[in-house]
Amino acid sequence: MPELPSPDPVQHRSLAGWYMIAALLLLTVFAWALFDEVIGLRPWKSYQARFKVEYAKYLRKQITQQRAQQQKIENSPEYLALAQKAAALKKQAQPEIEKINSQIAVLNAQFDAILHIHTTRQQYVASNIYIVEYTKSAKRKKELLTKLARYEKQISTIRMPEAGGKTRLVHYNYRQLMDAFNQNSDQKSALYEKEGNLMAPASDAEKKAKAYLADHLTGPNVTALQGLLAGNRRMSIRIRQFYNGKAGIVDRCESCHIGILQPIKLTKADMGGNLLFISHPDMELLKIHDPVIFGCSPCHAGNGMYAESVKAAHGFREDWTWPLFSKSDLDAGCQECHAKDMVVDHAPVLNEGKFLFEWRGCEGCHAHAGYDQSPGEIRTTQREITSLEKQRNQDALDVQRSNHLGDIAATNAEAQADYLHAQSLQVSMSKISMRIDHDTQDVHWLMMDEKMVGPDLKEIRAELNKRWIPVWLHNPHAFDPTTRMPNFPFRPGDVKAISAFLWRDAIHMQAPQQPPGDPVKGKQLFRTRGCMACHAVGYGKNAAGGWFGPNLTRVGEKMNYDYLVRWIHNPRQRLEPYCPALGRDLTPADYQKAGLPFVFGLHHDTFEGHALQVEQETVMPNLRLTLKSAQDIASYLITLKEKDPSSYSPAPYMSDPKLAAKGKKLLQFYGCSGCHEIAGFENAQKIGTELTAEGSKPLELFAFSRFLEDAERGRDGWAFTRASWFEHKLKDPEIFDQGMIRTAGEQLHMPNFHLKPEEINALTTFLLGSQTPRFPKNMMYDPSGPAKDIQQGWWIIKKYNCEGCHQFTLGQSTALMTLPWFQTPNGKGDLPPRLLTEGARVNPNWLANFLANPALSDTDVHRDGVRTYLPVRMPTFYLSPIEIRKLVRFFEAMSHQPMPYIPRPVKPLTPDQLAMARALFVSPAAPCLKCHAIGVPAHDKFATAPNFLLARKRLKPDWVRHWIMNPALIDPGTAMPSGLFKEQDGLEVFSGPVPPALAHYKGDEVNLIVRYLFELTPEEQQRLIQMSGKMLMPAPATTSQLERPQSPDARSAAYVGTLVASH
Amino acid sequence: MRKLKWLAVIPVMIGLAACSSSPKASSESSSAAPAAAPQQQLKPVDPATVGEITGVVKFDGAVPHPRMIRMGQDPVCQKANHDKPVYFQDGEVNSNHTLPYVFVYVKKGAGQYDWTPPSEPVVLDQKGCMYEPHVMGVMVGQQFKVINSDPTTHNIHPMPADNRAWNESQPPGAPPITKTWARPEVMVPVKCNEHPWMRCYIGVTKSPLYAVTGDDGTFTIQGVPPGTYTLGFWTATFGTQEQQVTVPPKGTAKVTVTFKAS
Repeated sequence: MPELPSPDPVQHRSLAGWYMIAALLLLTVFAWALFDEVIGLRPWKSYQARFKVEYAKYLRKQITQQRAQQQKIENSPEYLALAQKAAALKKQAQPEIEKINSQIAVLNAQFDAILHIHTTRQQYVASNIYIVEYTKSAKRKKELLTKLARYEKQISTIRMPEAGGKTRLVHYNYRQLMDAFNQNSDQKSALYEKEGNLMAPASDAEKKAKAYLADHLTGPNVTALQGLLAGNRRMSIRIRQFYNGKAGIVDRCESCHIGILQPIKLTKADMGGNLLFISHPDMELLKIHDPVIFGCSPCHAGNGMYAESVKAAHGFREDWTWPLFSKSDLDAGCQECHAKDMVVDHAPVLNEGKFLFEWRGCEGCHAHAGYDQSPGEIRTTQREITSLEKQRNQDALDVQRSNHLGDIAATNAEAQADYLHAQSLQVSMSKISMRIDHDTQDVHWLMMDEKMVGPDLKEIRAELNKRWIPVWLHNPHAFDPTTRMPNFPFRPGDVKAISAFLWRDAIHMQAPQQPPGDPVKGKQLFRTRGCMACHAVGYGKNAAGGWFGPNLTRVGEKMNYDYLVRWIHNPRQRLEPYCPALGRDLTPADYQKAGLPFVFGLHHDTFEGHALQVEQETVMPNLRLTLKSAQDIASYLITLKEKDPSSYSPAPYMSDPKLAAKGKKLLQFYGCSGCHEIAGFENAQKIGTELTAEGSKPLELFAFSRFLEDAERGRDGWAFTRASWFEHKLKDPEIFDQGMIRTAGEQLHMPNFHLKPEEINALTTFLLGSQTPRFPKNMMYDPSGPAKDIQQGWWIIKKYNCEGCHQFTLGQSTALMTLPWFQTPNGKGDLPPRLLTEGARVNPNWLANFLANPALSDTDVHRDGVRTYLPVRMPTFYLSPIEIRKLVRFFEAMSHQPMPYIPRPVKPLTPDQLAMARALFVSPAAPCLKCHAIGVPAHDKFATAPNFLLARKRLKPDWVRHWIMNPALIDPGTAMPSGLFKEQDGLEVFSGPVPPALAHYKGDEVNLIVRYLFELTPEEQQRLIQMSGKMLMPAPATTSQLERPQSPDARSAAYVGTLVASH
Repeated sequence: MRKLKWLAVIPVMIGLAACSSSPKASSESSSAAPAAAPQQQLKPVDPATVGEITGVVKFDGAVPHPRMIRMGQDPVCQKANHDKPVYFQDGEVNSNHTLPYVFVYVKKGAGQYDWTPPSEPVVLDQKGCMYEPHVMGVMVGQQFKVINSDPTTHNIHPMPADNRAWNESQPPGAPPITKTWARPEVMVPVKCNEHPWMRCYIGVTKSPLYAVTGDDGTFTIQGVPPGTYTLGFWTATFGTQEQQVTVPPKGTAKVTVTFKAS
């Protein structure tokens, strides 16, 4: 065997295998990169490609549809008439226009013929004149001018076109050439103008036809759609983003949500069932939040920069703090910028959450910027007073110094300057003093506006059935399933101790004794005065009334009658005033010591220089009932019970001092003073976590405790999200203590509010939105002017449940509207007024007075000041001037009224006009006096509208004019009929038979009435009454016996009058 | 063998690359578009086969006291009735213990027919400060004409739940107000704010299959295509009722309902 040569280690070693592996690897990586480029990391490419197809399909379908619709309109007789008219006019003008056009054509040809030679010669002359102007030698100048004159005389021969295709030779010197050229232009403009005038009627008619088409076509027109289709065809596939560098927004959402800004509405159905391609469902929102500035993520959250995958872009990764808000929490996105609003348009769920946070008393334990305004304002104002006082002292010293400097100044001029400085400092000190007075007043006023969610527990000895207290504390929801008072996770013995403490430290005083009232009358008053705008009786299906205040189904088991009467008569009355400076209630003994009578109230709200809280911190207003009515209502309410109050077991432990001491500690632990006024706890701190930025707290800081695994794996309804944590916490506040060993004082102690699922969702939405602001200040909604007035007003509207009685926007329901007796045709007329245009209707100064004193009288208070005929009564809320100011501004801003209001002068009527207005007013055809009150009791029993005498001070004349012309436009559904006046030759005239006095009147009759109303005096009204005489008066026999029934369901019986008696 | 091991890595890598970033279509294409429901073809009524429904509405229980209307508020109204007593019509019971002013209508079962409203309007008159008639039916789209025969101003204020609301003044001698109703609604109450006792009710229906009982409590609905229907009975004060009824071709279905005193 021949020996094989041993392989050469250099020559025979092959790296081919490795090269191949490397080549393959490279190829793979290249393929991979290519894949990611096209598909993997660019999912939006395929989306955009699909969108183009779907959108084109949709647009083509739309074009066919719209074209058919357009053709249908174009074939309608109305359109055809318009189009034919346009065509006829065009045809009529056509011969003349053609003539003009041919003239223009000739002129154009002539222009072309002349243009070249004209330009050449004009330039030659112009350049020579330039040379002449710059030539210094007079001789040379003269020579040149002579040459120029010669040039101008030279003749140019032009072949000039003429009408009919002929030509003519013309010979022009320079001047003639210029004139011919100018003439040509003048003639042409004249012809164009003439042509325009001739065409005007036809083009106007064409415009009308087009406008008719546009007005009757629903949806976009075919041309616009074709434009969109062409745009879609040209659309390139590329990343699309909103970039706002200042705000740090880079949102590429549109790269996938490619239809989002399309100018036509695209629904899921339109886009082949693909939700990804729809246009933004609320275009109104985008109008006020331009995506170019706001992008997408400030509202929706998510991670706008990452368009590589659905999960990444939506921010569904643990390391991303702002995951996309889900559909149910969508409104959360508004909160970050709208933190200062109580009511945000377009965000009903958030609004509900914000309201619940206040109404449910969450803010009693949890601070949240924006809430808790009045205590904050009191502190700020007090600080301001202190700093102003410092400033004033400083100024006083400077005044002395300056004056002294003046005294010793070297010159008079210097002395004058020093004295002037001293004087200006004195003026500024006066201003500061006045400001301090104002602020001091503000502190009193702010105290008027301080309210608490729960009742004052200092007065329970006077107010409550002692035996009921521990039963209630143990399980409030068992007693009243609708109560706002939550169930606390008490440990055994806690209830006894807390009851004992509350009983021990309550005021040892009783409400004055009251005689019993008439429960039947009381029930009627309760149902009609407006109590039910806030309070309901009955539970579930049997419930009737509002939800804002406590349900009264079992009030008879817990309340003392005497205290109830006092409460109904005026809920703001306190047994003792509270003195913040001393940190306790003032007793009669304190007053005695100071040598003062024990008198306190809104007009006696200081004690030895200290501001006092003289009101109960309840939002319940004073209905200005007589004491008798209060007794009647209380007598009715005390009958509302399921079991006898004395059947509760006695609670002797409530007098045990040891228990009371334990109770005090427990009370602090459970934070009862967040919602209740409790002796010794008036300045207690909030016990809960601050929630202002809870929505941006890192997820790891949420203690999921033993549910962490469930959350991370998404088991049993859990998710590792803030929303899931909030929802579980709100549903069962102790859930995260499950399975934990906790000693007393360590356990979770948030009580269970028994929230409904929709309430939990609303609060979760609000909390998710409560974030540390990420964006620059100018993106936050912090408006000034009218928008701020609206923003501030809503807090007050919600605080006092104004919406229980009044509608502020159409579609909003009130508690009273839900009551059956307010749904009958007559009952509807007895509802409190709607306030859709209140700011445009009433004079703001009047409104301020009315809000302060709705009776509009200091003596005749047991009635409403405006609608004396309504059984429901606008109560007195004891609003401070601060809140009144905010409310008045709110109404003005809601109606787009400028502030301050300067009344438009109403021109006085001449004696003639006065007679005419009077005649119109009392004319049997004019129904004004049939419905409006006139101050005659027999007539006013039937009145359903306010007395005209109020108009002058109360109303704005512009509003009155619009109101009379067509009230349904201002207040749809109003009792005031439309069509009283009709337009005739630009004037409003009475629709009915006109009284003879007005037969020759050539003016506006509504104007006449408005002016009359604004100068109506009581004397004039008397005169009116006499003039209308019998027309107004019910037969005398009936008047004396008629008693206007107070219940709306009995209202129809009112019209039966005394006939009932005659049976 | 070592080479092969290396090669095995490649498909794994490709696989990884594909898995890690496979695009997920986020479309929810499963739920289809709410395709416009195929327009149900409406059948014309065959006049040769139509029958009728007749019946009587009885009343059981204590007859409520008639309540007299006091018109003293507007002397014109008093005068218009020559000072004779006028009674509320709501809650009225006929002397034969039947009910007048009951609105009887086909509530269900006539939807498949093509009903076109007649060209003549339904007229509501205001006479003696009362509405005439007190209860009436009108078809969707039919002209509804209001006239004022009184020498005083009235306002007509219908308070519908489902239709457009309006409230217009009609002085004496003013031209008639003509309106139409766009949606079926039983019933639309109408009031006059100036004369609060005035009240009438309008039943707006899609078909002309309705009637109002008279002073003998009877009613007749004519032109009913054969079939089974649900009849609705509406009263102002005694509530509402329903009854099934089958109309044979060219035949008559008889119905009796009884309302109890509320």
